[in-house]
Amino acid sequence: MITNGFVHLISKNGFQNLIQNTTAQVSIETGLKAVGRPAFTLADTHVDKETRKFSAVKELLYQLLCLGIYLAVIPFTFKKGGFALFKKICAKVNQHPEFLESITKTKELPGVKHCAIDMFKNEKGLIAIHKLSHLSPQKRQDSSNTLAVKLLKTIEKNTDWNKVPNQDKDSFMQKVLNEEQKSEFFRQFYMGKGGIEMSSIAGSVVGLTILAPELSHLILHPIMKFIGMDAPSHSDKVKKEANILDKQA
Amino acid sequence: MSAANLNPILKQIAKGAFKLGNHNDPLNVVLAIALFKGINRPLFTMMDKESDPQVKKYAAFREGLTEVIAAITYVATNKILVNPLAKYLTKKTGGSFGKITNGLEFLCVCLSAALLIPLACNLVLNPVMNGVKKLTGKKKSSVNKLDIKENEVSNIAVPAQISTHKAPVGPNSLLQVLQNKYTPYNGGNMKVGV
Repeated sequence: MITNGFVHLISKNGFQNLIQNTTAQVSIETGLKAVGRPAFTLADTHVDKETRKFSAVKELLYQLLCLGIYLAVIPFTFKKGGFALFKKICAKVNQHPEFLESITKTKELPGVKHCAIDMFKNEKGLIAIHKLSHLSPQKRQDSSNTLAVKLLKTIEKNTDWNKVPNQDKDSFMQKVLNEEQKSEFFRQFYMGKGGIEMSSIAGSVVGLTILAPELSHLILHPIMKFIGMDAPSHSDKVKKEANILDKQA
Repeated sequence: MSAANLNPILKQIAKGAFKLGNHNDPLNVVLAIALFKGINRPLFTMMDKESDPQVKKYAAFREGLTEVIAAITYVATNKILVNPLAKYLTKKTGGSFGKITNGLEFLCVCLSAALLIPLACNLVLNPVMNGVKKLTGKKKSSVNKLDIKENEVSNIAVPAQISTHKAPVGPNSLLQVLQNKYTPYNGGNMKVGV
């Protein structure tokens, strides 16, 4: 019962779409770090209580600031940048269909002859078509399915119909509604989608290892002071120890 | 146009992008972050000119070690848990193996970030850092023994042969003869070097 519920939950399309998104992966991981690390710091009995409290608050704030800075700057910039970059890369790769076919061919599936990204005005259309491919054709055609309707609208809005290769808008939309997830039609968008994710990974690395730590260190100390969390000094510790000795005496 | 004309780096990027478009494993991004954090954070710490060099080394080593522990934990949980658990769950529930694998890969990363990495750091970091401290402490003391300070009276024992040797004295001794012969003031009472 519990196992079935768990499998049902992790197999849901919404969850599957979420975990294939680099920004979501990084945000959830950083959020969990913001909870887990301070909790373990507080539980560490080797250190005195004041130091533990200070370190835990500092760690929590640091992770939250990193997450905030990351979400504010990186996904937007790097997704746009990745989309623009991969428009050029796909244009070059499309000149070599035999190479494209060789790298996209698997044991079960034939290779893709064309990499489609040029037809989208921005990354939103490409991401929407990738998300829509994870829904079954029945769900895509169901007009009461709010997610499918929303994604179809996004595709319509963000596609340049003059650039759709070898077909008109209607036949393209028919394929969007009817083709299977692993069909050649949907696999032609993989490289573009992967390019955006690749760029997001690069952005996550830059954001979380260079930009966010440096910026958060600038903000962290004033915030710590503002909330009245000063670093426990050595003299405080000595005073405390002296008080304990006095009482014992 | 032949594919040989295509830049090899571009080929690799295209290949990688297609794979990521097909399946974006969360392990990719967390490992990339751990790797670069493991390089950048110690580097930034060592570049800090205001801190004490010993403290800097300690902090940089600790930061590097934390990320090594993180990377190992991410890979280990992924390799140990995902595949057997996915097979078991697929067999038991009849769900999609691919979807279950994807879900478990993500949950393993979450489990590592929230629980396993802080736990591993708590267990491993302190003993390792204490060991390193002891090692560097020993090295430091041995260096201090060899450190010769200026204007300090040396405690090094003089070899017995030298200290017990008695130079012959008197007007015919070698020292007296050399002094009388080579000093500019041979006729005077002034003696140099005695």
